[in-house]
Amino acid sequence: MPEPLIALRDVSRVYRRGADDVHALEHVSLTIAGGLFAALMGPSGSGKSTLLNLLSGIDRPSGGDVVVAGKRLNDLSEDALARWRSRHVGLIFQFYNLIPVLSALENVELPLLLTALDRRERLARARLALDVVGLGARAAHAPAELSGGEQQRVAIARAIVTDPDLIIADEPTGDLDARNADQILRLLLELSHELQKTVVMVTHDPRASEWVDIVFHLEKGVLKETYAGGAGKARAPATGGPP
Amino acid sequence: MKYLPFVFRNLFRNKLRTALTGGAIGLAMLLVCFFMTMPGGIDRLLSEISSNVRVSVHNKGGVVYDLPSAYVQRVRGIPGVAAVNGEVWFGGAYEDEGIVTFPSFAIDPDTVGAVWPDYGIDPLVLEKFRRQRDAVIVGRETMKKYRWRIGQQVSLVSTIWPVTLAFKIVGEIPNDRAPHFWMQREYLAQALEAQDRQLDTVGTIWVRVADPTLVHDVMTRAVAMFRNSPAEVNAETEKSFFASFFGSLQSFVQIILVVTGLVALCVLCIAANTASMAVRERSREIAVLRAIGFGRGVIFGMLVAESVVLATAAGSAGALLTYAFSAMIRTLSGSSMGGTEVGALTGFLVTREIVARGIALSAVVGLVAGIAPAWGAARRPVAETLREVF
Ligand SMILES: Nc1ncnc2c1ncn2[C@@H]1O[C@H](COP(=O)(O)OP(=O)(O)O)[C@@H](O)[C@H]1O
Ligand SMILES: [Mg+2]
Repeated sequence: MPEPLIALRDVSRVYRRGADDVHALEHVSLTIAGGLFAALMGPSGSGKSTLLNLLSGIDRPSGGDVVVAGKRLNDLSEDALARWRSRHVGLIFQFYNLIPVLSALENVELPLLLTALDRRERLARARLALDVVGLGARAAHAPAELSGGEQQRVAIARAIVTDPDLIIADEPTGDLDARNADQILRLLLELSHELQKTVVMVTHDPRASEWVDIVFHLEKGVLKETYAGGAGKARAPATGGPP
Repeated sequence: MKYLPFVFRNLFRNKLRTALTGGAIGLAMLLVCFFMTMPGGIDRLLSEISSNVRVSVHNKGGVVYDLPSAYVQRVRGIPGVAAVNGEVWFGGAYEDEGIVTFPSFAIDPDTVGAVWPDYGIDPLVLEKFRRQRDAVIVGRETMKKYRWRIGQQVSLVSTIWPVTLAFKIVGEIPNDRAPHFWMQREYLAQALEAQDRQLDTVGTIWVRVADPTLVHDVMTRAVAMFRNSPAEVNAETEKSFFASFFGSLQSFVQIILVVTGLVALCVLCIAANTASMAVRERSREIAVLRAIGFGRGVIFGMLVAESVVLATAAGSAGALLTYAFSAMIRTLSGSSMGGTEVGALTGFLVTREIVARGIALSAVVGLVAGIAPAWGAARRPVAETLREVF
């Protein structure tokens, strides 16, 4: 088995809220192999978003190690983390979070501004990414002119345009109807199974477990359960508990 | 540079607000540019006034009547008088007999520099004028009109005195509007003496007062001095009206400077307010950008650039408007029709330098206004901002 793309070792995250501490994550350890489609499930407030933030280097753990693609994120400075994210992570949010003043194409181009590519190459790649999500024809549209499902697909194009190893999605279907949700899930599955991206998705959708390779179940900041999803590509890539 | 299109998009995100802020900055810069002319303009005005603390004392009956030449020294004795020069009308005709085409006077060569310091006559010229009996100083207008050169000889036939005199031009009054032809009083006196006539009168006594505030006083005393004498006098000055404002003008300059500073501060607040609103309403987007991998430096730079671009564009528009306005005035006053009405006020016209300073000031305002909000936005922890919006 190849070295896991993601390895969390004994990770905790404590938030200070006034006088008391909120233990958003407590001693979570898990690994996820490269190319898997993983779901993070659990009730609201169980620490799913916190975990995603740690995986993507948006936040840092209070304790434990976060290792992604062989890099120990704990060691990186704020700016180094930003640079690392721009190369290795694609982010998808529940509310799409496209920039309203930019067209679909420009939104997708955005992460490429941080690269050395010139404008022509940037636009060519952005077009390609839009084609991948099936929105090549809507390139010039502003986000407000697109449906929720379309906006989320633009957001996915934006997440994959830099060709990252890891795609992180926080409730990407939470705001969509079933048909659009399926479309998004299928897209994420394809990214994982055809383009070998590692996709980690937080979801409340019980049907989502049918789409993914592996499900991590969190409760009150503790990793309670790990099981194979319906896509069935998981061949014991995950471990719960301390390594 | 590749971020610039994004910066512009953000500027046009809220067009009304951008327009209002831009309008405020532009208007304020317009004011600031006009204000910036004030210290220089008032300075110019003051120096003009102080050099024009010149009073003419002449016969009450009118300038065509003479005064006894002894009056010159008596006027010199009035407290506050810095210099005097008695002028005699020569009325010289140059080309056509009996036709006077420019004013020619016999004056005292020793006090020309002291009475007309504002004419800016070369001291070397004044020295030659003093030494050479037949020397004349001619205003540039007349020099040009007849294409005279310095060193040239010219003869005038007086329409007043029974003499024809040959002169040597030793220098000019460096002012395109000066027609004067000044000869030595002594030269005329000697020519008259040769005919057994005495030159013992003056036409106008020119007085330079030491201090603008004394002008009125000197004039009153001069008039009083010769009251009930055979030749009563009148005293006049063009600029005495301004002179009475002399003191208040100086404090006015200071007030203007303070007001300019306040206006600039006001613009700064407007720009800072806009910048912080722009940052606040976009905090989610900024967090998203940072999550995507935009570093703090890039975010900071883009937000500051937004503020600088807006302030500079708006400020430049305001500053250039003042320049266009000034250029228009300048053209009008330069043309023959507009005449000299603008006169001393040209000092209050906006120059290129002031426009450049206005634009630079706008850029600085934008920079300073943008720094704090941009810094705050760039420093906010991403995870927390993202959380707030989910
Ligand atoms: N920045 C924060 N400050 C304080 N408490 C936080 C912060 N972020 C998350 N929490 C708390 O941590 C817990 C887990 O939050 P989160 O990871 O957002 O849960 P989920 O995404 O599973 O709904 C919650 O109790 C939440 O209130
Ligand atoms: Mg969440």
